[in-house]
This record gives sequence, C-alpha cells and structure tokens, in this order.
Amino acid sequence: MSGFLARRLGQSLVLLVLVSMVGFAILHLAPGGPMSQFASGSDMTQEDLDRIAEQLGLNRPLPVQYAEWFWRMLQGDWGRSYRDGEAVLNVIGSHLGATLQLMLTATLLAIIIGVVIGTLGAIRRHSIFDTLATVGAMIALSIPTFWFGLVAIYVFSVWLDWLPSGNRFTPGDGSPLDLLRHLILPAMVLALVETAIWSRFMRSSMLDVVNQDYIRTARAKGVPEARILLRHAFRNAALPMITVLGLQLPTLLGGALVTETVFTWPGMGRLFLDSISYRDYPVVMGILMFSATLVLLGSLLADLLHAVADPRIRLG
Amino acid sequence: MVDFRIDRRAVLGLGAAAALAPCTGQAQPRPPERPRGQVIVGLSQEPTVFNPLMPGIEVDQGVWWNLFSPLWYTDPEGNLVPDLAREVPTLDNGGISTDGLTWTVKLRQGATWHDGTPFTAEDVKFTLELINNPSFRARSRIGHQLVRDIRVTAPDEITWRMEAAYAPYLSILSLTFMVPRHLLSGVDPNTATFNSAPVGTGPFRWGARQPGDNITLTASPAYHGNGPFLERVVFKYIPDLTVLYTQFRTGQVDHTSIQGISPPFVREARTLRGRVIHVNPSASIEHIAPNLEFGPLADKAVRQALYMAVNKRALIDAIYYGLPAPTESFLPRQSWAFNADLPAHKHDPAAANALLDQAGWRRGAGGVREKNGVKLEFTNSTTTGNPVREQAQQLLMQDWRGIGATMRVQNMPAAVIWGEFWQQSRFQSVMVGVNFTLGADPDVTPRFHSSAIGAKGGRGQNNYQFVNAEVDGLLVQGATQFNQAQRRATYQRIQALVREELAILPLFQSAAVEGVKEGLNGYRPNQNTSSNCWNIREWFWTA
Amino acid sequence: MSLALSAPAFRRFRRHRLAAFGAATIVLLTLGCFLGPFLLPFDDTTIDVMNRFAPPLSGAHVLGTDELGRDMLARLMMGGRVSLIVGFTAMAIGMALGILVGAVAGFHGGWLGAALMRFVDAVLCFPTIFLLLALAALVSPGLLSIIILIAATSWMDVARIVEGQVKSLRERDFAVAAQVLGASDARIIVHELVPNAVAPIVVAATLNVARAILLESYVSFLGYGIQPPVPSWGNMLNNAQIYLTSAPWLAILPGLAITLAVTSFNFLGDGLRDALDPRMRAR
Repeated sequence: MSGFLARRLGQSLVLLVLVSMVGFAILHLAPGGPMSQFASGSDMTQEDLDRIAEQLGLNRPLPVQYAEWFWRMLQGDWGRSYRDGEAVLNVIGSHLGATLQLMLTATLLAIIIGVVIGTLGAIRRHSIFDTLATVGAMIALSIPTFWFGLVAIYVFSVWLDWLPSGNRFTPGDGSPLDLLRHLILPAMVLALVETAIWSRFMRSSMLDVVNQDYIRTARAKGVPEARILLRHAFRNAALPMITVLGLQLPTLLGGALVTETVFTWPGMGRLFLDSISYRDYPVVMGILMFSATLVLLGSLLADLLHAVADPRIRLG
Repeated sequence: MVDFRIDRRAVLGLGAAAALAPCTGQAQPRPPERPRGQVIVGLSQEPTVFNPLMPGIEVDQGVWWNLFSPLWYTDPEGNLVPDLAREVPTLDNGGISTDGLTWTVKLRQGATWHDGTPFTAEDVKFTLELINNPSFRARSRIGHQLVRDIRVTAPDEITWRMEAAYAPYLSILSLTFMVPRHLLSGVDPNTATFNSAPVGTGPFRWGARQPGDNITLTASPAYHGNGPFLERVVFKYIPDLTVLYTQFRTGQVDHTSIQGISPPFVREARTLRGRVIHVNPSASIEHIAPNLEFGPLADKAVRQALYMAVNKRALIDAIYYGLPAPTESFLPRQSWAFNADLPAHKHDPAAANALLDQAGWRRGAGGVREKNGVKLEFTNSTTTGNPVREQAQQLLMQDWRGIGATMRVQNMPAAVIWGEFWQQSRFQSVMVGVNFTLGADPDVTPRFHSSAIGAKGGRGQNNYQFVNAEVDGLLVQGATQFNQAQRRATYQRIQALVREELAILPLFQSAAVEGVKEGLNGYRPNQNTSSNCWNIREWFWTA
Repeated sequence: MSLALSAPAFRRFRRHRLAAFGAATIVLLTLGCFLGPFLLPFDDTTIDVMNRFAPPLSGAHVLGTDELGRDMLARLMMGGRVSLIVGFTAMAIGMALGILVGAVAGFHGGWLGAALMRFVDAVLCFPTIFLLLALAALVSPGLLSIIILIAATSWMDVARIVEGQVKSLRERDFAVAAQVLGASDARIIVHELVPNAVAPIVVAATLNVARAILLESYVSFLGYGIQPPVPSWGNMLNNAQIYLTSAPWLAILPGLAITLAVTSFNFLGDGLRDALDPRMRAR
C-alpha cells in the first residue's frame, strides 16, 4: 500500500512537470499575446508595445522563459499577473473562495437530490416517478446553461423581482441574508445539471447492482427488501460514484465558468477565462498547475477509496 | 424595490424633500453640503491597472480620473481647463515660448496627496522623468520623449525645454496624471505597493478592491476642486453586456459606462421607468480598414467601388438602430479640426459596377470579378463575441456580392486579432472602431505617416500601410504649428486626402449609449477623456 | 407505482416507446435538416433587413425571421446539419478513442496500463477551455477542426470509466474462467469484457452527445466556431441572447432544437442500454 502510494506520488510529480511544459509551450505558441489589448487603443504606438514586451521579457527564447519560470516556481514565486501586477498565488486566492462557496453549495445539493432520485428511480424502475425523473434529467442535461441562467434571471429578477440578478453581494451590505439571496439563483442553475448527472449515474449503477447474483441470492434467502437495498445494493452501487466524484473534482474550477459569467460571480472560472483572453501567462500557468494538482489528487483519492470499498481490487 | 440601500435613501429623501418643499418648487437640484450616498458604475471590462502611467485601457482610465489629477483636462466642449496647474500655458500667456520649445507651468497651491503630503513641482518633475525612465513600463512616451532639462524654479513652478516643437503635447498632458514622488522614488516603480494601493490628488481616495468583482473609492475631503458629493464610488465588473444591461434594468447598477448599452437594447431601455438613457457621440470612428498592400484592396478603384456599394443608411438604421451618424472623416464631428466639406458617400451599386468594369475587373466564374489573375476576394475580421458587428459584416457581404466582390468572415478573439495580425498588417481587411485623436488633438501621425507602418519596421500604428508623400509633409507641419487656425487648415487637407485615397472606408462616428439612474445629477459625457467617469466628483443624488 | 412493477408487458411497451420516440425524433430531425432546405422557398443566408424580427406564423416565414430578416426555419435546418454532424461525429471519435485506451489499459494493467491512465490524467489536468483554446491555436477554424477539438476534449472520462469497469470485471469469475480455458487476450476483451462494460459506456455516450452539441456553442463563443453567415444551433443561440426579451423566438427555437435533439439521443441511448446489457438480455 505505501509502496503504491509512493509510486503514484512520484508519477504525479513527473506528470506535473510534463503538464507545465506542454501548457507553457502551447500557451506561448498560441497566436496573440498580452500586448494585444493595448494595440487597438489610441495612445500606444508600436514602439511602446515593443518596448513593454521587451521589459516583460517576452522576447527571449521560450526555453529560457520556461526555465526561469520553473526555477522561480520551485522557490515559491509563481510570478506576477500582467494585468494587475499582483502575485499569482494572491490572485488565485482571491478568487478561490467565491468558487468554493458556489460549487460546494451546488454539488452538495446535487449529490443529495441526485442520489435520492437515482436510487428511487432504479428501485421503482419504469414507474411514473422514474419516467418523470428520467425525462426531467435528460431535459436538464440538454438545456444550454447560459440560456437557462438568463431565463432564470428574467423570471426571478426581472419579472418577479424576488432575487438579485447577479453578483455575490450588494456593495455596502454583505450580511449573511444578503449573501444567501445572491447565492440562490446561481447555485440552483449550477445544481440543475449536476443533479441530472448524479441521478443518471446513480440510477444506472444501482440497476447494475440489483441484478447481480448476490442480490438475487439475498432476495431468495428472504432477506427483507429494505435491508437488501441499504446494506447490499446501495453500498455497491455507490462504488462507481466514487470514480464520478474523483472526476468531478477538477470541474470544481472550470465547471462553474458559464454560471459565473451569467451571474457575474467573481470565481476561478471567470479568472481563468479573463486570463486566457488577455494572455496573462503567469496567472494561466498558475491556475493550470493548481488545477492539475487537484486533478491528480482527485484521481489518486478515487483509486484509494475504490480499493478500500472493493476488496477485490489489489493495489500492487 | 428590494435593494436596502435604495430604501434607505428614499427615507432620507423624504425628510429632505419635506424640509425644502415650501421654497424650492421645480428648481435645479443642488449638491449636498457633505458627501452622501454611493454610485455603482457597471463596466464590462475589469479595471486592473492603478498606476496611471502604466499600460491601461479605457476602464482603467475611468478609475484614474477619480483618483488622480492631470495638470489640465479637456472639457466636453474641447477647451483645456486647468486642474493642478494654475493656468494652461499658451503662446499668449508666455507659458510656451514663440518657438514652441520652452514650456513653463505655474501650479496650484494647496493641493495635497491623499496621505496629506503637499503636492509640489517636484512631483511633476518626477512624473515626467519616470515616464522616460528606461526600466519603467510606461504606457506611452509620445511627446514625453521630447522633454529635456526639467527645472523646478519654485515649489509651484516648473519649466522644461522641448527637443522639437510639438503642439499635441498640450493634449497629451491633459491625459497625463501626476504621481507622488514620495511614494515612488527609491522603489521599483513596476512593482511598488503604490500600484495596488494608489495615492493621488483626485476627488476620491483608494478604498478596497475585490479582484474580479469591484473597486471601491471613498470621498477625499481634502480635494482641491469642486466636489466630491458622493461618499463612495463602486466600479463593478460585469463581463457580459446582456447581464450588464439586465443589472442596470433591475437597478443593481446606477450607471453603465464605456461599453454601455448595446444598440439592440436601446429601444427597450428608453421605456424603462426611473432610467435615463444618453446617446453620446463618441470619438471612435467605425470603419473598414483595408490592408493597402493586399492584392485587390491595393487598387484605389476597388476601394472606391466597395465604398459606393455599401448601403450605409441600411447598415446604420437596421443594425445600429439609427444611433450613430454617418461620416467621411477619421475625426469626430465635434473636433475643432473636423472637415465638413468632404465629398458625401452615395450608395450607388451601378456606378460601382461601372467603375470596376472600367478598371479592368471582369466578372469570372461564379460572378466574382478578377483582373490579371487576381480575384476580387478578401477576408474581413473583427473581434468575436460582438454580434452587432457580425451582423454588419453579413450586410456588407451581401452588398459586395452584388458588385462581384467576395468577402469572407474570419473573426478572432481580441488577443489574437489585435496581436501581430493587426500590428504587423497580416490582415486583409478589418472592421474596427478607432479613436484617432490624441486627447482632443487631431494629430494622426502614428496612424497615417509612412514611417509609422509596423510591418515595415515603423514605430506607429499605420497598419493600413498608407503611404502618401503629401500627407507625410502635412503631418510634420501640423505637429509644429501652434496657431489653431493654421493647424485646422493643415488637418482639413489631410482629411481630404485620406478620404480621396480611401485609406479607410469610413462608416460612421460611433454613438456610446450609456444609462444613468434617475435622480443622479452631474453626468456630463466628454468624448475627450475616453471615459465618462471623468467627472464623478460632480455627481450627486437628488436629495 | 406497483402497477408498473407488476405489469412487465406495459413496462416493455413504455421502455420501447421512449427509445422509439428518441430514435424517431433523431431520424426526423436528421431528415428534416438534410432534406428540408431543398423544399423551402427561402435560403438561409439571404438578408432582408426590411423584414427582420418577423414573429413566427405571422407571414410567409413559418418560424419568423431573425435579426437580419433571414428565414428561421431555413436557418434552423442548415444549423441543424452543422450541429448534428459536429455532435455525432465528435462523440463517435471521442468514444472510440476512449474505449480503446480504457480497454487496453484496464485489461493489460502493468506498465502499459499505468502509462495510459497517467496520460489520461495528464490530459484531464487541462481544463476543457484550455484544451480547446490550445488546440484551436494549432488548426484553422472550420467544421472538421471543431469536430476534432471537441472529440479531443471528451474521450478521457470514457477511458477512465471503461478502465475501471474492465479492471474490476477482469477479476470476476467469468473472465477468470475464460482465461483458464485458454482464450486469447483480444478475444476476452472483445467477447467478455467490453460487452460487460457496455452499460456505463452507453450512459457516458449519451452524456457526451449533449456535451458535444453544447460545446459547439461554447467553441463559437470562444471565437473558434463556425464563422458567419453559416448557421449552427450553437451560434444561433449565442447570437440570440441579446434578443431574449425583444424577439424571444430567436433564442427559444434553437434552444428547443438543441434540447430536443439531445434529449432524443439520451432516450435512444437508454433503450440501447437495455438491449445491449447481457444480463438483461438473458431475462
């Protein structure tokens, strides 16, 4: 077990370095650059643009830039944003809270509702409830998020005037009630799709399990149905869910991007999109390394939990 | 209304109205004695640069106007108004020597930085020197690089010599904000704490910033000018124009600035209760930028034919809801140098066809014209995510198909299109809105002088690759004239030449549609300042 | 509720009906999009600014006209061609790649399996937008490049699910039995393991079509999408955002088209799942 852990951690570190190399190369080779945003303005000339690119060190060979970036990162210096001059780690830190608040709320809602709906649907397969849940989930998955978000704003903010149309809080207020009111719409929009995903996976996983021999055996032996479902079926059905959870971890950062845009939620998704649009290389690289670490941890965690839950899988 | 803040103000308002009711009647609202209330300004781009000498875009400049002061500024009518200076130097008052080479500026006394330090001529000297400091990432050195021998002759007087006479420098200084010497000397100006906690001489002082969300400024009681009358200004970043409009509509934003309200929303916006919609002519000229070195577009006859084939009226009325005004010049109509006598555009596809026939462009396979093996085909690019411009492109595509010219859309994200593609003239044609003026100055040397072509190693932004000896000469002449009547003649001739050669295909002078909540007074659009947040110091809520 | 459980015939009928509904809708949509434009009197790119924003059922244009006066029905059909091609092809390519990688990695295990799965991990380390943007920088915009872009961002989760299933199934009795009986690796993969892993694959596939069709609109949004004047459901929906209150049908119609197409595909996938699952077939 500890040998497995050590090897996986080693592999992960090598992966991180690879990811950083590939990401750095692609980012810098992509057309455009951080100077573009100024080029359509009126008071900066080509001379100014060239001079600033030179001052930022953008004209040096790519391997040199990479090596310097890498060496500094090892020392804990992730560079400074080209946009606001802040240290990259501070920039990430100042956006992380908003995303976590939104994502955790939505994911928690989605897991609870999704698992309940999925389990009930599998048990009462092809009942009216199951059909409605299936149709509902499919439609939820098929609606483009930004469209649904805009419709939600028009209904709940513009027409009914119940909830604010965006932002994380009212400037000058920020009480818990104010925060909650701002959280409802985006969390609801985000949870809609997530719930659909969780209920679909849970339902199919549960269906796989209830048809397994050991469940049939238990049933034949006269074990009460409720106990079969809770003790045997649910536990085994939840197994693939762990993989799903591991896979969902990275979407924690990027998954809310559309919702964050529609509801002007100042989170990681927006930050990433803005940084990409402005070619803010240090911030993009920082987010990439941050999310890559998260993905690798998630994957490792999923494997470990999977092994703990299913003794037939040996980690060797 | 669910907004707590509004409720509170309504209650306050009731009290005030009751007190004033007997005597005021319908009189003009008066600003309060002490700063009161707050304004939330919605911006579709995020202000991130707070050192006013570093590279920033319009939204950054909107924040700078409230934190900092220039020596003088340009008012909406185009006049220079002293701010940190006591008077604007001219030939008449002796502030500028007759050869244009020696400048002397007398400064206001009693202005202080937000931290209480007095503002002096040393700060002006430091600012000008910092811009020319080779290790500092200064935004632009146009004009500033000509400054030599800066001398502080008194705490409130400064003088310098210009390497060459340069008339636009007055306008450039009207957009140059002074920075404090005591906070920026002796530290690396690129990474100084000042850059994220700026200290200025402006009407508002730095409050707090939540990255990706908002910036809060608070009233500076020591401000040397009129105002401020608001306790707080919040600049709120709302990245999507539809969402920005919705938040203005639902009242979460008091003012939509810069990108403002997209044309398709304007008709509806005008019907909103409690909202005032302003349509302001902006200094930005929307045009088709041809690459004059690219195949068919190098032929003047082709450009003339393309221009005649454009149904400008339909474009403006249908796509832009009749808001902007058609134009023939690169200068805004309000500029003192504007040439109103340029030949007017006429929509005439028949004449366009005849012109092309005459110039030897024959219709070939599929109705597309060609000449000497060159097809009358080109791409047109603009920034993606701008549905209104995309509609305009498709309209032009149809207009031009009618005269045997094929235009294909090749749009790109901003970071790509305005990169080397634009700077090094790799495009075939671009649809773009450009503010050609420097402040209020009509000098367009960086745009039309033959030495300003980036693709040919030049130093400006003449990305059209326009080369014209007469224009070159006039540009040099105009930059050294200090008599406005003489300068006007020079720039009117330049406008005539650019129109004659069709170095750009001018479509219209853009209209910026901005919304203001009813009861908010003092909003005064100013196309010379690149942001209508320039005078928030004068804004106040009707009591 | 118990009625459904106690009436197998009704259950089969209902199951059949949902899948049939999905299949029929997909066939109809496909036929409509590919043949419909030949029957219409309007072209999808002809602009008529005098006659724009005509509401549906108000004149010659059955579904009204868009912001440039173009026939909405014609645009929906032509846009449907693009979106369906993108959705189906990208899904198919992504699935094939994912299944291949996942099956090989799961069955082989060892260094090859580990290397493959770490590669999957590495690609997953890039957020979808980053991958899209990065890859888009290397190709010129167009239909084929969009398909490749989307496929390249949607095979990894399939690979993981397949690998997980295969690895777990490999340990189970029937695979061990087959191995003991001397079946070759390929035979075991094709005949024993893949069919057993089919259920989750199909579920993932249905989700991936939805994703591919939706991603097409986000690709347009990011600036590497289908260029105007060619319509796709994604760019139609994107452009219609600003008319949500003034001309709601511009957003509702492509939104419905996307929802209908994706929902249908999900129903079909659900039916396929029942048909393909060996344990269910046995009953």
